[in-house]
Amino acid sequence: MPNMFSPLTIPASAGIGLRSPHIAEMLTRRPSAGWLEVHAENYMGDGAGVQALETLRQTYPLSVHGVGLSLGSAQGLDRDHLERLRKICLRFEPDLVSEHLAWSVADGAYLNDLLPLRYDEEALAIVARNVEMVQDTLKRRVLIENLSAYLAFTDSSMNEAEFLAALVARTGCGLLLDVNNVQVSAHNLQYDAKAFIDALPAEAIGEIHLAGHATNQVGTDTVLIDDHGSRVPPVVWALYQHAIDRLGPRPTLIEWDTDVPVLDVLLGEAMWADMLTASIMFSRKQAARRAQTTAAEATPIRLSVEAETTTSMPVLAAFAAARAAKPSISLARPSLEEKYHAAA
Amino acid sequence: MLPLEHLQTTMARSVLAMEPTIGSKLLIAGKADPLARLRIYQNNTRSSLTAVLMAVFPVTVRLVDERFFRFAASEFIRRHPPVESRLARYGAGFPRFLKSIDTLSDMPIVAETARLEWAIAEALDIASLPPCSLADHENSDPSASPEILVQPSLRLIVSHWSILSVWSAHQQGAAADRHSAWPRRAERVALWRAGDNIRLIDLDRANLAFLHSLKHGFGLEHAAGRALALDPAFDLVSALVRLFGDGLVADVRNIANSPKNSWRQS
Repeated sequence: MPNMFSPLTIPASAGIGLRSPHIAEMLTRRPSAGWLEVHAENYMGDGAGVQALETLRQTYPLSVHGVGLSLGSAQGLDRDHLERLRKICLRFEPDLVSEHLAWSVADGAYLNDLLPLRYDEEALAIVARNVEMVQDTLKRRVLIENLSAYLAFTDSSMNEAEFLAALVARTGCGLLLDVNNVQVSAHNLQYDAKAFIDALPAEAIGEIHLAGHATNQVGTDTVLIDDHGSRVPPVVWALYQHAIDRLGPRPTLIEWDTDVPVLDVLLGEAMWADMLTASIMFSRKQAARRAQTTAAEATPIRLSVEAETTTSMPVLAAFAAARAAKPSISLARPSLEEKYHAAA
Repeated sequence: MLPLEHLQTTMARSVLAMEPTIGSKLLIAGKADPLARLRIYQNNTRSSLTAVLMAVFPVTVRLVDERFFRFAASEFIRRHPPVESRLARYGAGFPRFLKSIDTLSDMPIVAETARLEWAIAEALDIASLPPCSLADHENSDPSASPEILVQPSLRLIVSHWSILSVWSAHQQGAAADRHSAWPRRAERVALWRAGDNIRLIDLDRANLAFLHSLKHGFGLEHAAGRALALDPAFDLVSALVRLFGDGLVADVRNIANSPKNSWRQS
């Protein structure tokens, strides 16, 4: 039976992934978090977490993120699993629903990992068919997330960004841009991370994910592992800045799945994402004003001191901008960077 | 070029078999060795599913030592990978798998304890309904036959080994001795979810039969009859008070005594 929750729209600001160690604190503290995202598969039973989520859903806008639908499986979708996802959407009435451009089921086994596709016409037809079935079943648009990958297939005839763009054109689905995944895959498979983001259809991107990754050294191979087990690193913040600069504000999720820290760390990361977005939008507004002023120079209007004060960049936003720019800043002032880190 | 389904089957087998059966020419990883990168997927699958099993069977882990548990889990994952992505359902076959391991043949209590832990995992994923109290039914029709619906999470386990004692000894705060010899003593365990917690109790034969009948919907009369057959001293009133007191009664339905009802008890 649907719960008839009041509709809560996910704002174009930061939210956090709801993880079981934080549920009790979320219920008692109800901290200021823009919105919550849950993994669909964790709520397909009837355990205590389901009741907790029903309570939290009354306060927070919700996104349901699937990890087990295996949209890229050539053998087709598990209809029972899709039906369970439909019931979750009916039960919790999420504002967003997303899944991955990946496969995890083959030969009768579920591998509990997200494996890459061979990006070609055959795979596109299969994924498009599966995405259409999901959208028809759920009666809504779903967002499809780019993958973090450690290898690719020699016979791919297009890259992942081209594949996603074609999938959007064919099915009308949206995209979930996982900026950390872009960084991980771009490093591991040696392509340009920013060019990947720029190749995606901007208007289709309905959500962004941010997370940390691990760096493993195997012989001479430095490989980035998408473990969601640490703070968002500077290189991902910089890529996020690039994405927001291009896309404008988007609902942005802080994901953390291994070595989950205290709730306040997640909330702090979410705050940085909001501040960084605010600083980018502020800079954009300033640039537009400057352009306007230049155009109006024939009849100059002097801004009052008060007016200038009200348009100054918020301090925290400036901090966030500086933090994101860290890779390009000289390492001459390490103590300052330490302070920024401690403030997070 | 392999059809996609064939390619995915080959790759899935490579990931599970822990040895690359997929041709390296099919894969690319920048300047890195693609088969070395394939091992990341192998490790991800094995380590994440092992973590799932360790979370479900924490006492079993402590009984056999973590390194052995990881070895056993790895074999189990390779031979019996999950068939669906709802991982709350993964591990049902693990106790039976442990029973089949030669190394554990002289430690049957390990597989039996795992059986108890699996029942706990199942109960945790099932609804905990608001319990009924006896006071709710003070004014019920005395001519009707009350039928009791117990909590859907109720699980009953009979073991020849003292599994509840072992499990309790390994809970937080308990001083467990991993090397102590657990006696061969039959225990009958009832467990169910109560809110965020699991409640476990040790039962005698009559009370086990009583709960078993109620759980399977055979009705109160049948349940009392089975319990009395095993123990003529079975006290139905005490059993009912305990049943309500434990929050095990999810609903009470008054069913008029009619021929329709009598078939269920035959």
